Amino acid sequence: MRVFEALAKIDRKIIFLILAVVIIVPLIKPIGLISKASTRAKAVFDAVESIPPGKPLMISIDFDPGSMPELYPMLLAILRHAFARDVKVIVLGLWLTGMGLGEQALTTVASEYSKKYGVDYVFLGWRSGVLPVVLGMGEDIKKTFPTDYYGTPLESLAMMSNIRNYRDIPFFISLSAGDPGMNTWIAYAQARYGLKMGAGTTAVSAADAYPYLQTGQLTGLLGGMKGAAEYEFLVKERGYSKEISQATQAMDSQSLAHLLILILIVLGNIGYLFIRKQTKKLGGAR
Amino acid sequence: MNLATSFWTWFGAFLTFCIFSFLYKDNPFYKFAEHLFVGVSVGYSISISYHNVLYPDLIVPLFRNGELLNLVPLIFGLCYFTRFLPKVSWLVRLPMGLVLGFGAGAAIPAVIQASIIKQVQGAILTPDVFKRFDLTVWALISLIGVICTVTYFFFSRERGKVTKVMADLGIIFLMVGFGASFGYTVMARISLLIGRFQFLLRDWLGVIK
Amino acid sequence: MQRQIPLILCLIFGIFMIVQFFVPHPYSQRAYEVVLRWVRIISIFALVLGVGSLVLYHSNKIKRKVSGWGFSIVTLVSAIITTLVGLLGVNWLDGKLVFFKGIGKSSVLQIFFQNIFVPVNSTMFAMLAFYMASAAYRAFRARTKEATLLLIAAFFVMLGMVPIGSAISPRLPEFAEWILSVPNLAAKRGILFGIALGGIATSLKIILGIERGWLGGGK
Repeated sequence: MRVFEALAKIDRKIIFLILAVVIIVPLIKPIGLISKASTRAKAVFDAVESIPPGKPLMISIDFDPGSMPELYPMLLAILRHAFARDVKVIVLGLWLTGMGLGEQALTTVASEYSKKYGVDYVFLGWRSGVLPVVLGMGEDIKKTFPTDYYGTPLESLAMMSNIRNYRDIPFFISLSAGDPGMNTWIAYAQARYGLKMGAGTTAVSAADAYPYLQTGQLTGLLGGMKGAAEYEFLVKERGYSKEISQATQAMDSQSLAHLLILILIVLGNIGYLFIRKQTKKLGGAR
Repeated sequence: MNLATSFWTWFGAFLTFCIFSFLYKDNPFYKFAEHLFVGVSVGYSISISYHNVLYPDLIVPLFRNGELLNLVPLIFGLCYFTRFLPKVSWLVRLPMGLVLGFGAGAAIPAVIQASIIKQVQGAILTPDVFKRFDLTVWALISLIGVICTVTYFFFSRERGKVTKVMADLGIIFLMVGFGASFGYTVMARISLLIGRFQFLLRDWLGVIK
Repeated sequence: MQRQIPLILCLIFGIFMIVQFFVPHPYSQRAYEVVLRWVRIISIFALVLGVGSLVLYHSNKIKRKVSGWGFSIVTLVSAIITTLVGLLGVNWLDGKLVFFKGIGKSSVLQIFFQNIFVPVNSTMFAMLAFYMASAAYRAFRARTKEATLLLIAAFFVMLGMVPIGSAISPRLPEFAEWILSVPNLAAKRGILFGIALGGIATSLKIILGIERGWLGGGK
């Protein structure tokens, strides 16, 4: 009986330690669980795959380092996919504190594929106000972003010469950690201007995206780090990249940590049920 | 093991441990990292705002190209400073009123379009869902679920027998929905922790690729 | 006047945005583009409120030597240094500092971002995993039938959404996907309707001046 009581009272520092071990060990000694692509992730991949070479894919960085492990690997994988297929890339963001991540990702991936700034990709950066940015781009991207992130006038960038507004963007992906993000783009760009879009979201908001998937407002969805791993799987399977995939590498730890949490919930409940039974018994005896 | 040689990687690892030290208890290392972060984020925000917005969107058009119409947003924007001048602090309401009115006006048609019309279209049963038996059943369950969930949130009248059953059914759907969100939330938090360990093991210690 | 003018501005711009949506006439279109530009520029000044409050708070703490005032110095000094290196476009090129070179990959601003902002911000959120594990163990109990239902749904989503789920049984991910795309979808759509209707009502109240909380106190 003491076992059940002990189960209900494990010290939280022990839980912290076990969780850390469960995550660190599989990173050092991988088990090799494979993360195959779901239909939702495949839909995003196929939409990028269907962009003709030379046409642009637009990506919005609607997250900051707080959600980096989930969304940054998506950004890298999507950029690799686009660059490998010679699809032009426009990157912007609704989160000011995500701009450094855009700079970091573009610098890393563009050099892997020897892509040239202004010809193969453009980093628009950030503009204030959210709604006037999303609505303004539907009218004219160059009026909303007269210059790019570095202060270069958009008029002077070769890639932007044939791009005016959303009508010239075959596909768009919002990498979203909340608000402003996926919901903003759906309400103000997809509904009003018919922008075809997919989303990569943090796992926290992935379940909220399902109504939009069913109506077709979202073409596809990458949900959390698992979604990133699925995209990495597809990019590797097609031979578009040989780089180490951060999200895929994390899936063993992710799986074991989930198992641990489930075990903890079960243990907590066993302890709880036992104590409740005991209390009832004692109450009855009185 | 391939230990980092860059000062900045070591500093990043140091800050990571400073924050993790809060797991034991609040301490000066945590406080230092937290305050440093706040300062850097303020400086970062000001810098990006200047380079990405103020300079290209206001200073260049107004002072270099002489587009005087830009004086209007400049004057409204400067009203924000009056927040710290008690005598004229009411002027801060001017830009707020303009921006709030703009946002509210833009939201109404957008929300009707994206969250009501499209979602009603998605909820109703179209001939397509009757093509396969399982699709029909799932679509029916979804429709019932939506109606019951909305009924649960309807508090304006006392519930009758039918509406009580519907609201109870609504709770069941809500609980499953919250459960799904909770499951995904666990996933999210674990992912973030893995990300930090990947940094420590890869970039700092060099024990993984 | 101190309340009326802001309310009138709110009404005018609110109605303009609704009307413009339905009347895409060239004149309204031109006015729309001007308004979008204005709001974009005005919004940036809102930063003043945040930065101003923060500076006042920390400088007061230092002046009064309130406990922990040393940390306020850290905040203010790091804010000043980061602002200076950002505004002056300080870059680290070929082993030396150069000025007015922008905010690209070699800028000191980007170095600060990658090595101070990123580790602290992401570790703060990463820490939540520990607390969540502890809370799941302590508080996630099947006390009622509703809580049990929540627990079961969470159980399948947690297991079905990671690779180990499909390793245990290929049916697990399928069932998790069903939970997400049928009952979860219904609940989330119901909530979405509630949020949408609430949002429209609040927006109308703001435009018509019924909701005046944003005006704050005073005359």
